[in-house]
Amino acid sequence: MAFLLNCPNCGSRSVYEFKFGGESKSAPRPDADVNAWCEYLYFHQNMSGFQEEWWYHGMGCGEWIKVRRNTVTHEIAEE
Amino acid sequence: MVTTQKILQFKQPEKSYDVIIVGGGLHGLAAAYNLARYHGVKRIGVLERRYIGSGGSGRNTEMVRANKRAHETLPFYKESLEMWDGLSDELEWNLMVQKKGLIALAHSEGELASMRMQSDSQRRAGIKIDILSPQEIKKMVPSLDVSDGPALPVVGAQFHPEGGTVHHDAALWGYAKAAGRHGVDICSGVEVTGFTLDGAKVTGVKTNVGDLSAGKVHVAVGGYSSEIARMLGVKFPVVTFPMQVMTTDVMAPFLDYYVASPRLHWYTQQTLKGDLILGGQLDPWQSWNSYTSWEECSERVAAIIEYFPDLAHARVVRSWSGLCDCTGDSAPVMGPSGIEGLSLDIAWGYYGFKATPASGKYCAEYIATGKIPEKIKYFGLDRFFNRRRVREIII
Repeated sequence: MAFLLNCPNCGSRSVYEFKFGGESKSAPRPDADVNAWCEYLYFHQNMSGFQEEWWYHGMGCGEWIKVRRNTVTHEIAEE
Repeated sequence: MVTTQKILQFKQPEKSYDVIIVGGGLHGLAAAYNLARYHGVKRIGVLERRYIGSGGSGRNTEMVRANKRAHETLPFYKESLEMWDGLSDELEWNLMVQKKGLIALAHSEGELASMRMQSDSQRRAGIKIDILSPQEIKKMVPSLDVSDGPALPVVGAQFHPEGGTVHHDAALWGYAKAAGRHGVDICSGVEVTGFTLDGAKVTGVKTNVGDLSAGKVHVAVGGYSSEIARMLGVKFPVVTFPMQVMTTDVMAPFLDYYVASPRLHWYTQQTLKGDLILGGQLDPWQSWNSYTSWEECSERVAAIIEYFPDLAHARVVRSWSGLCDCTGDSAPVMGPSGIEGLSLDIAWGYYGFKATPASGKYCAEYIATGKIPEKIKYFGLDRFFNRRRVREIII
Protein backbone atom coordinates (compact mmCIF):
# COMPACT_ATOMS: atom_id res chain seq x y z
CA MET A 1 0.00 0.00 0.00
CA ALA A 2 1.67 3.15 -1.13
CA PHE A 3 1.35 6.53 0.47
CA LEU A 4 3.02 9.90 0.08
CA LEU A 5 5.80 11.32 2.20
CA ASN A 6 6.48 15.02 2.34
CA CYS A 7 10.16 15.65 1.66
CA PRO A 8 11.21 19.17 2.74
CA ASN A 9 13.48 19.40 -0.32
CA CYS A 10 11.44 17.64 -3.02
CA GLY A 11 7.82 17.98 -1.93
CA SER A 12 5.22 15.25 -1.75
CA ARG A 13 6.63 12.00 -3.18
CA SER A 14 5.71 8.32 -3.34
CA VAL A 15 6.98 6.33 -0.39
CA TYR A 16 8.70 3.97 -2.86
CA GLU A 17 11.30 6.70 -3.49
CA PHE A 18 12.35 6.34 0.15
CA LYS A 19 14.05 3.74 2.29
CA PHE A 20 12.70 3.14 5.78
CA GLY A 21 15.29 3.88 8.44
CA GLY A 22 13.55 2.78 11.60
CA GLU A 23 12.21 4.65 14.60
CA SER A 24 14.06 7.70 15.82
CA LYS A 25 15.95 7.11 19.07
CA SER A 26 18.39 9.06 21.13
CA ALA A 27 21.79 7.42 21.36
CA PRO A 28 23.42 6.86 24.75
CA ARG A 29 26.42 8.97 25.66
CA PRO A 30 29.72 7.58 24.35
CA ASP A 31 30.82 6.66 27.88
CA ALA A 32 27.51 4.94 28.69
CA ASP A 33 27.31 1.38 29.95
CA VAL A 34 27.58 -1.32 27.25
CA ASN A 35 24.09 -2.55 28.15
CA ALA A 36 22.68 0.86 27.29
CA TRP A 37 24.27 0.56 23.86
CA CYS A 38 22.93 -2.98 23.40
CA GLU A 39 19.47 -1.74 24.24
CA TYR A 40 19.86 1.21 21.87
CA LEU A 41 20.95 -1.09 19.02
CA TYR A 42 18.62 -4.05 19.38
CA PHE A 43 15.52 -2.99 21.31
CA HIS A 44 12.74 -0.92 19.81
CA GLN A 45 9.63 0.84 20.97
CA ASN A 46 8.00 -0.67 17.83
CA MET A 47 5.04 1.65 18.20
CA SER A 48 1.57 0.78 16.96
CA GLY A 49 0.37 4.31 16.30
CA PHE A 50 2.22 7.58 15.69
CA GLN A 51 5.99 7.49 15.94
CA GLU A 52 8.85 9.63 14.73
CA GLU A 53 10.98 7.74 12.24
CA TRP A 54 13.82 8.12 9.74
CA TRP A 55 13.39 7.91 5.96
CA TYR A 56 16.13 8.15 3.36
CA HIS A 57 15.14 9.85 0.10
CA GLY A 58 17.42 7.74 -2.08
CA MET A 59 15.58 8.42 -5.34
CA GLY A 60 15.35 12.14 -4.61
CA CYS A 61 17.56 14.58 -2.76
CA GLY A 62 19.53 11.87 -0.92
CA GLU A 63 18.78 13.32 2.51
CA TRP A 64 17.65 11.55 5.66
CA ILE A 65 14.41 13.07 6.88
CA LYS A 66 12.31 12.61 10.00
CA VAL A 67 8.61 11.84 9.58
CA ARG A 68 5.83 11.35 12.12
CA ARG A 69 3.79 8.44 10.80
CA ASN A 70 1.00 6.29 12.18
CA THR A 71 2.23 2.71 11.76
CA VAL A 72 -1.33 1.34 11.83
CA THR A 73 -3.06 3.67 9.35
CA HIS A 74 0.04 5.05 7.53
CA GLU A 75 -1.28 8.54 8.13
CA ILE A 76 1.44 11.21 8.12
CA ALA A 77 1.22 13.88 10.83
CA GLU A 78 1.17 17.47 9.60
CA GLU A 79 4.11 19.53 10.78
CA MET B 1 -20.55 -40.11 9.70
CA VAL B 2 -21.90 -36.67 10.37
CA THR B 3 -21.63 -35.46 13.91
CA THR B 4 -23.22 -32.40 15.41
CA GLN B 5 -21.14 -32.59 18.55
CA LYS B 6 -18.99 -29.51 19.13
CA ILE B 7 -15.29 -30.28 18.80
CA LEU B 8 -14.38 -27.50 21.18
CA GLN B 9 -16.27 -25.64 23.87
CA PHE B 10 -15.10 -22.05 24.38
CA LYS B 11 -15.17 -20.88 27.98
CA GLN B 12 -15.57 -17.71 29.98
CA PRO B 13 -12.39 -17.12 31.96
CA GLU B 14 -12.32 -18.01 35.63
CA LYS B 15 -11.02 -15.55 38.21
CA SER B 16 -7.87 -17.46 38.94
CA TYR B 17 -5.55 -19.81 37.03
CA ASP B 18 -2.29 -21.60 37.65
CA VAL B 19 -1.05 -20.51 34.23
CA ILE B 20 -2.52 -17.87 31.95
CA ILE B 21 -1.40 -17.92 28.34
CA VAL B 22 -1.82 -14.65 26.47
CA GLY B 23 -2.53 -15.36 22.82
CA GLY B 24 -4.71 -18.11 21.35
CA GLY B 25 -2.57 -18.91 18.36
CA LEU B 26 -0.65 -22.06 17.57
CA HIS B 27 2.23 -21.34 19.96
CA GLY B 28 -0.05 -20.46 22.88
CA LEU B 29 -2.31 -23.47 22.35
CA ALA B 30 0.65 -25.81 21.89
CA ALA B 31 2.16 -24.59 25.16
CA ALA B 32 -1.20 -25.01 26.91
CA TYR B 33 -1.64 -28.51 25.54
CA ASN B 34 1.87 -29.57 26.58
CA LEU B 35 1.43 -28.09 30.07
CA ALA B 36 -1.86 -29.91 30.61
CA ARG B 37 -0.85 -33.19 29.05
CA TYR B 38 2.79 -33.65 30.09
CA HIS B 39 3.26 -31.47 33.14
CA GLY B 40 -0.01 -32.06 34.96
CA VAL B 41 -0.93 -28.38 35.25
CA LYS B 42 -4.63 -28.37 36.02
CA ARG B 43 -5.96 -24.87 35.61
CA ILE B 44 -4.78 -23.20 32.43
CA GLY B 45 -6.52 -20.33 30.67
CA VAL B 46 -5.71 -19.30 27.11
CA LEU B 47 -6.85 -15.72 26.46
CA GLU B 48 -7.40 -14.62 22.87
CA ARG B 49 -8.68 -11.15 22.08
CA ARG B 50 -10.19 -11.98 18.67
CA TYR B 51 -10.71 -15.59 17.58
CA ILE B 52 -8.18 -18.40 17.86
CA GLY B 53 -5.69 -18.40 15.02
CA SER B 54 -6.64 -14.90 13.86
CA GLY B 55 -3.02 -13.76 13.72
CA GLY B 56 -0.03 -15.40 12.14
CA SER B 57 -1.32 -18.93 12.86
CA GLY B 58 -3.99 -18.57 10.20
CA ARG B 59 -2.02 -16.33 7.87
CA ASN B 60 1.23 -18.19 7.27
CA THR B 61 2.07 -20.20 4.16
CA GLU B 62 2.06 -23.60 5.86
CA MET B 63 5.71 -24.31 5.21
CA VAL B 64 7.59 -26.60 7.59
CA ARG B 65 11.35 -26.95 7.24
CA ALA B 66 14.61 -27.08 9.13
CA ASN B 67 17.04 -25.62 6.61
CA LYS B 68 18.29 -22.85 8.82
CA ARG B 69 21.91 -21.95 9.29
CA ALA B 70 22.96 -21.31 12.87
CA HIS B 71 24.17 -24.31 14.84
CA GLU B 72 22.33 -23.00 17.92
CA THR B 73 18.97 -23.28 16.17
CA LEU B 74 19.31 -26.36 13.96
CA PRO B 75 18.65 -29.09 16.58
CA PHE B 76 15.55 -27.20 17.69
CA TYR B 77 14.10 -26.86 14.18
CA LYS B 78 15.04 -30.46 13.36
CA GLU B 79 13.15 -31.75 16.37
CA SER B 80 10.17 -29.57 15.51
CA LEU B 81 10.10 -30.87 11.95
CA GLU B 82 10.21 -34.47 13.20
CA MET B 83 7.49 -33.83 15.78
CA TRP B 84 4.95 -32.96 13.07
CA ASP B 85 5.06 -36.61 11.90
CA GLY B 86 3.55 -37.98 15.08
CA LEU B 87 1.23 -35.11 15.87
CA SER B 88 -1.81 -36.24 13.89
CA ASP B 89 -1.92 -39.40 15.99
CA GLU B 90 -1.17 -37.62 19.22
CA LEU B 91 -3.78 -34.90 18.74
CA GLU B 92 -6.28 -37.32 17.12
CA TRP B 93 -6.79 -34.87 14.29
CA ASN B 94 -5.52 -35.06 10.73
CA LEU B 95 -3.01 -32.23 10.31
CA MET B 96 -2.46 -33.10 6.62
CA VAL B 97 1.30 -33.32 7.06
CA GLN B 98 2.84 -33.59 3.64
CA LYS B 99 6.63 -33.72 3.56
CA LYS B 100 6.91 -33.08 -0.12
CA GLY B 101 10.36 -31.54 -0.20
CA LEU B 102 11.60 -28.00 -0.47
CA ILE B 103 13.73 -26.69 -3.33
CA ALA B 104 15.52 -23.41 -2.64
CA LEU B 105 16.91 -21.96 -5.87
CA ALA B 106 20.30 -20.30 -6.21
CA HIS B 107 20.79 -17.61 -8.84
CA SER B 108 24.55 -17.16 -8.66
CA GLU B 109 27.67 -19.16 -7.90
CA GLY B 110 28.15 -17.13 -4.76
CA GLU B 111 24.68 -18.00 -3.53
CA LEU B 112 25.25 -21.67 -4.34
CA ALA B 113 28.51 -21.59 -2.38
CA SER B 114 26.65 -20.08 0.56
CA MET B 115 24.04 -22.85 0.27
CA ARG B 116 26.81 -25.48 0.30
CA MET B 117 28.14 -23.97 3.50
CA GLN B 118 24.65 -24.00 5.03
CA SER B 119 24.16 -27.58 3.87
CA ASP B 120 27.29 -28.66 5.73
CA SER B 121 25.97 -27.15 8.96
CA GLN B 122 22.61 -28.81 8.38
CA ARG B 123 24.08 -32.24 7.63
CA ARG B 124 26.19 -31.99 10.75
CA ALA B 125 22.96 -31.48 12.70
CA GLY B 126 21.51 -34.58 11.02
CA ILE B 127 19.23 -32.80 8.59
CA LYS B 128 18.96 -34.32 5.13
CA ILE B 129 20.01 -31.86 2.47
CA ASP B 130 21.23 -32.06 -1.13
CA ILE B 131 22.60 -29.68 -3.71
CA LEU B 132 20.92 -29.99 -7.11
CA SER B 133 22.08 -29.02 -10.59
CA PRO B 134 19.70 -27.17 -12.95
CA GLN B 135 19.18 -30.41 -14.89
CA GLU B 136 18.17 -32.28 -11.73
CA ILE B 137 15.81 -29.46 -10.78
CA LYS B 138 14.23 -29.55 -14.23
CA LYS B 139 13.49 -33.28 -13.82
CA MET B 140 11.75 -32.64 -10.52
CA VAL B 141 9.93 -29.45 -11.54
CA PRO B 142 9.38 -29.61 -15.33
CA SER B 143 7.44 -26.34 -15.38
CA LEU B 144 10.37 -24.35 -13.97
CA ASP B 145 12.47 -22.32 -16.40
CA VAL B 146 16.10 -23.25 -15.69
CA SER B 147 17.38 -21.78 -18.97
CA ASP B 148 19.42 -18.59 -19.36
CA GLY B 149 16.17 -16.75 -20.11
CA PRO B 150 15.52 -15.04 -16.74
CA ALA B 151 17.70 -12.11 -15.76
CA LEU B 152 18.96 -14.18 -12.84
CA PRO B 153 19.09 -17.75 -14.16
CA VAL B 154 18.83 -20.79 -11.91
CA VAL B 155 22.35 -22.15 -11.33
CA GLY B 156 21.49 -24.76 -8.72
CA ALA B 157 19.40 -25.40 -5.66
CA GLN B 158 19.37 -26.74 -2.17
CA PHE B 159 16.96 -29.65 -1.75
CA HIS B 160 15.48 -30.29 1.69
CA PRO B 161 13.50 -33.54 1.28
CA GLU B 162 11.95 -33.45 4.76
CA GLY B 163 10.52 -29.98 4.29
CA GLY B 164 6.91 -29.67 3.27
CA THR B 165 3.56 -28.42 4.38
CA VAL B 166 1.11 -28.87 7.24
CA HIS B 167 -2.41 -27.50 7.10
CA HIS B 168 -2.27 -24.58 9.53
CA ASP B 169 -5.99 -24.52 10.41
CA ALA B 170 -5.92 -28.26 11.03
CA ALA B 171 -2.90 -27.82 13.29
CA LEU B 172 -4.60 -24.99 15.15
CA TRP B 173 -7.84 -26.87 15.74
CA GLY B 174 -5.94 -30.06 16.53
CA TYR B 175 -4.06 -28.30 19.32
CA ALA B 176 -7.14 -26.39 20.51
CA LYS B 177 -9.27 -29.52 20.62
CA ALA B 178 -6.60 -31.56 22.37
CA ALA B 179 -5.97 -28.77 24.88
CA GLY B 180 -9.71 -28.49 25.54
CA ARG B 181 -9.88 -32.25 26.09
CA HIS B 182 -7.14 -31.96 28.72
CA GLY B 183 -9.07 -29.31 30.62
CA VAL B 184 -7.59 -26.08 29.24
CA ASP B 185 -10.03 -23.14 29.18
CA ILE B 186 -9.84 -21.47 25.78
CA CYS B 187 -11.41 -18.03 26.04
CA SER B 188 -11.81 -15.97 22.89
CA GLY B 189 -12.90 -12.34 22.97
CA VAL B 190 -10.86 -11.75 26.12
CA GLU B 191 -8.33 -8.98 25.61
CA VAL B 192 -5.42 -8.52 27.98
CA THR B 193 -5.01 -4.81 28.72
CA GLY B 194 -2.34 -4.94 31.40
CA PHE B 195 -0.57 -6.97 34.04
CA THR B 196 -0.81 -6.93 37.80
CA LEU B 197 2.58 -6.99 39.44
CA ASP B 198 3.69 -7.50 43.01
CA GLY B 199 7.13 -5.94 43.03
CA ALA B 200 9.03 -7.74 40.29
CA LYS B 201 6.61 -10.69 40.20
CA VAL B 202 3.61 -11.01 37.95
CA THR B 203 0.40 -11.96 39.78
CA GLY B 204 -2.16 -11.82 37.01
CA VAL B 205 -3.56 -9.95 34.05
CA LYS B 206 -6.08 -7.16 33.54
CA THR B 207 -8.63 -7.87 30.86
CA ASN B 208 -11.78 -6.41 29.33
CA VAL B 209 -13.76 -8.83 31.54
CA GLY B 210 -11.97 -7.99 34.79
CA ASP B 211 -8.75 -8.85 36.57
CA LEU B 212 -7.63 -12.47 36.57
CA SER B 213 -4.98 -13.81 38.91
CA ALA B 214 -2.38 -16.31 37.82
CA GLY B 215 0.59 -18.13 39.23
CA LYS B 216 2.41 -17.74 35.95
CA VAL B 217 1.77 -15.85 32.73
CA HIS B 218 3.10 -16.89 29.35
CA VAL B 219 3.13 -14.45 26.42
CA ALA B 220 2.64 -15.95 22.96
CA VAL B 221 1.08 -13.13 20.97
CA GLY B 222 2.88 -13.44 17.65
CA GLY B 223 3.45 -10.22 15.75
CA TYR B 224 1.81 -8.11 18.46
CA SER B 225 4.51 -8.63 21.10
CA SER B 226 5.49 -4.97 21.44
CA GLU B 227 1.97 -4.16 22.68
CA ILE B 228 2.71 -6.46 25.62
CA ALA B 229 6.07 -4.75 26.11
CA ARG B 230 4.32 -1.38 26.41
CA MET B 231 1.97 -2.76 29.07
CA LEU B 232 5.02 -3.86 31.03
CA GLY B 233 6.97 -0.66 30.40
CA VAL B 234 9.81 -2.48 28.66
CA LYS B 235 11.03 -2.90 25.08
CA PHE B 236 11.47 -6.07 23.06
CA PRO B 237 14.15 -6.49 20.37
CA VAL B 238 11.62 -6.58 17.53
CA VAL B 239 10.18 -4.49 14.71
CA THR B 240 6.82 -5.46 13.20
CA PHE B 241 6.48 -5.86 9.45
CA PRO B 242 3.62 -7.35 7.40
CA MET B 243 4.25 -10.23 5.00
CA GLN B 244 2.10 -10.62 1.89
CA VAL B 245 0.56 -13.91 0.74
CA MET B 246 -1.65 -14.76 -2.25
CA THR B 247 -3.51 -17.78 -3.57
CA THR B 248 -4.53 -18.57 -7.13
CA ASP B 249 -7.36 -20.41 -8.78
CA VAL B 250 -7.46 -24.17 -8.42
CA MET B 251 -5.56 -25.90 -11.23
CA ALA B 252 -4.51 -29.40 -12.27
CA PRO B 253 -1.58 -30.80 -10.28
CA PHE B 254 1.75 -29.72 -11.80
CA LEU B 255 4.01 -28.79 -8.90
CA ASP B 256 5.16 -31.57 -6.57
CA TYR B 257 7.57 -29.57 -4.43
CA TYR B 258 7.74 -26.40 -2.44
CA VAL B 259 9.88 -24.09 -4.60
CA ALA B 260 11.52 -21.00 -3.18
CA SER B 261 13.94 -18.35 -4.27
CA PRO B 262 15.57 -16.87 -1.18
CA ARG B 263 17.36 -14.28 -3.34
CA LEU B 264 14.23 -12.95 -5.07
CA HIS B 265 12.03 -13.45 -2.01
CA TRP B 266 9.36 -15.64 -3.51
CA TYR B 267 8.12 -19.12 -2.78
CA THR B 268 5.25 -21.16 -4.03
CA GLN B 269 3.58 -24.50 -3.55
CA GLN B 270 0.50 -26.22 -4.88
CA THR B 271 -1.81 -27.28 -2.10
CA LEU B 272 -3.68 -30.59 -1.98
CA LYS B 273 -6.72 -28.68 -3.20
CA GLY B 274 -4.84 -27.48 -6.29
CA ASP B 275 -4.44 -23.76 -5.73
CA LEU B 276 -1.01 -22.18 -5.51
CA ILE B 277 0.09 -20.34 -2.41
CA LEU B 278 2.39 -17.49 -3.39
CA GLY B 279 4.57 -15.53 -1.03
CA GLY B 280 6.14 -13.42 0.17
CA GLN B 281 8.49 -10.85 1.43
CA LEU B 282 8.26 -8.47 4.32
CA ASP B 283 7.00 -5.03 3.37
CA PRO B 284 9.92 -2.59 3.30
CA TRP B 285 8.68 -0.52 6.25
CA GLN B 286 7.37 -1.09 9.73
CA SER B 287 3.59 -1.47 9.80
CA TRP B 288 0.96 -2.83 12.16
CA ASN B 289 -1.67 -3.03 9.44
CA SER B 290 -2.32 -6.41 7.81
CA TYR B 291 -3.31 -4.85 4.50
CA THR B 292 -2.66 -6.24 1.03
CA SER B 293 0.10 -4.32 -0.67
CA TRP B 294 -0.35 -4.08 -4.45
CA GLU B 295 3.28 -3.11 -5.01
CA GLU B 296 4.73 -6.00 -3.00
CA CYS B 297 2.29 -8.57 -4.39
CA SER B 298 2.78 -7.56 -8.02
CA GLU B 299 6.54 -7.67 -7.61
CA ARG B 300 6.34 -11.21 -6.19
CA VAL B 301 4.01 -12.35 -8.95
CA ALA B 302 6.24 -10.88 -11.67
CA ALA B 303 9.25 -12.69 -10.20
CA ILE B 304 7.41 -16.01 -9.99
CA ILE B 305 6.11 -15.77 -13.57
CA GLU B 306 9.67 -15.25 -14.80
CA TYR B 307 10.52 -18.77 -13.57
CA PHE B 308 7.10 -20.38 -14.12
CA PRO B 309 6.07 -18.84 -17.47
CA ASP B 310 3.02 -21.13 -17.66
CA LEU B 311 1.53 -19.28 -14.71
CA ALA B 312 1.18 -16.05 -16.67
CA HIS B 313 -2.55 -16.67 -17.05
CA ALA B 314 -3.25 -17.94 -13.56
CA ARG B 315 -5.57 -15.74 -11.57
CA VAL B 316 -4.79 -14.55 -8.07
CA VAL B 317 -8.06 -14.92 -6.21
CA ARG B 318 -7.19 -13.99 -2.66
CA SER B 319 -4.48 -12.18 -0.79
CA TRP B 320 -3.77 -11.30 2.79
CA SER B 321 -0.90 -10.42 5.06
CA GLY B 322 0.18 -11.21 8.57
CA LEU B 323 2.29 -9.34 11.07
CA CYS B 324 5.83 -10.53 11.76
CA ASP B 325 7.79 -9.29 14.77
CA CYS B 326 11.36 -9.62 13.56
CA THR B 327 14.56 -9.58 15.56
CA GLY B 328 17.83 -8.44 14.06
CA ASP B 329 19.27 -11.95 14.17
CA SER B 330 16.34 -13.90 12.65
CA ALA B 331 15.87 -15.99 15.75
CA PRO B 332 13.01 -15.97 18.26
CA VAL B 333 12.93 -15.12 21.94
CA MET B 334 11.83 -17.88 24.31
CA GLY B 335 12.20 -18.19 28.05
CA PRO B 336 12.43 -15.70 30.92
CA SER B 337 11.32 -12.09 30.51
CA GLY B 338 13.18 -10.57 33.44
CA ILE B 339 9.91 -10.43 35.42
CA GLU B 340 9.32 -13.34 37.76
CA GLY B 341 6.50 -15.61 36.65
CA LEU B 342 6.29 -14.11 33.17
CA SER B 343 7.71 -16.16 30.30
CA LEU B 344 8.02 -15.21 26.65
CA ASP B 345 7.53 -16.96 23.34
CA ILE B 346 7.81 -14.02 20.97
CA ALA B 347 9.78 -12.55 18.08
CA TRP B 348 8.95 -15.40 15.75
CA GLY B 349 9.05 -13.17 12.68
CA TYR B 350 7.99 -15.14 9.64
CA TYR B 351 9.32 -18.53 10.80
CA GLY B 352 7.06 -19.39 13.72
CA PHE B 353 4.65 -21.88 12.20
CA LYS B 354 7.13 -24.69 11.63
CA ALA B 355 8.45 -24.36 15.16
CA THR B 356 5.06 -24.82 16.84
CA PRO B 357 5.49 -28.37 18.21
CA ALA B 358 8.95 -27.82 19.68
CA SER B 359 8.25 -24.34 21.02
CA GLY B 360 5.08 -25.64 22.68
CA LYS B 361 7.02 -28.50 24.22
CA TYR B 362 9.96 -26.47 25.52
CA CYS B 363 8.00 -23.39 26.61
CA ALA B 364 5.73 -25.70 28.60
CA GLU B 365 8.78 -27.36 30.12
CA TYR B 366 10.21 -23.98 31.08
CA ILE B 367 6.91 -22.80 32.60
CA ALA B 368 6.43 -26.02 34.56
CA THR B 369 9.97 -26.54 35.83
CA GLY B 370 11.42 -23.02 35.87
CA LYS B 371 14.58 -24.39 34.26
CA ILE B 372 15.55 -23.31 30.75
CA PRO B 373 15.64 -26.44 28.57
CA GLU B 374 18.91 -27.13 26.76
CA LYS B 375 17.40 -26.79 23.30
CA ILE B 376 16.16 -23.24 23.80
CA LYS B 377 18.96 -21.89 25.98
CA TYR B 378 20.34 -19.79 23.11
CA PHE B 379 17.03 -18.04 22.51
CA GLY B 380 16.84 -15.93 25.67
CA LEU B 381 16.51 -12.15 25.78
CA ASP B 382 19.90 -12.04 27.52
CA ARG B 383 21.65 -12.94 24.27
CA PHE B 384 21.34 -9.32 23.14
CA PHE B 385 23.35 -8.16 26.13
CA ASN B 386 26.05 -10.82 26.37
CA ARG B 387 27.11 -10.89 22.73
CA ARG B 388 25.50 -14.23 21.96
CA ARG B 389 23.26 -13.18 19.09
CA VAL B 390 22.27 -16.16 16.94
CA ARG B 391 24.31 -16.21 13.74
CA GLU B 392 21.34 -16.87 11.51
CA ILE B 393 21.02 -15.73 7.95
CA ILE B 394 17.80 -14.38 6.52
CA ILE B 395 15.96 -17.13 4.69
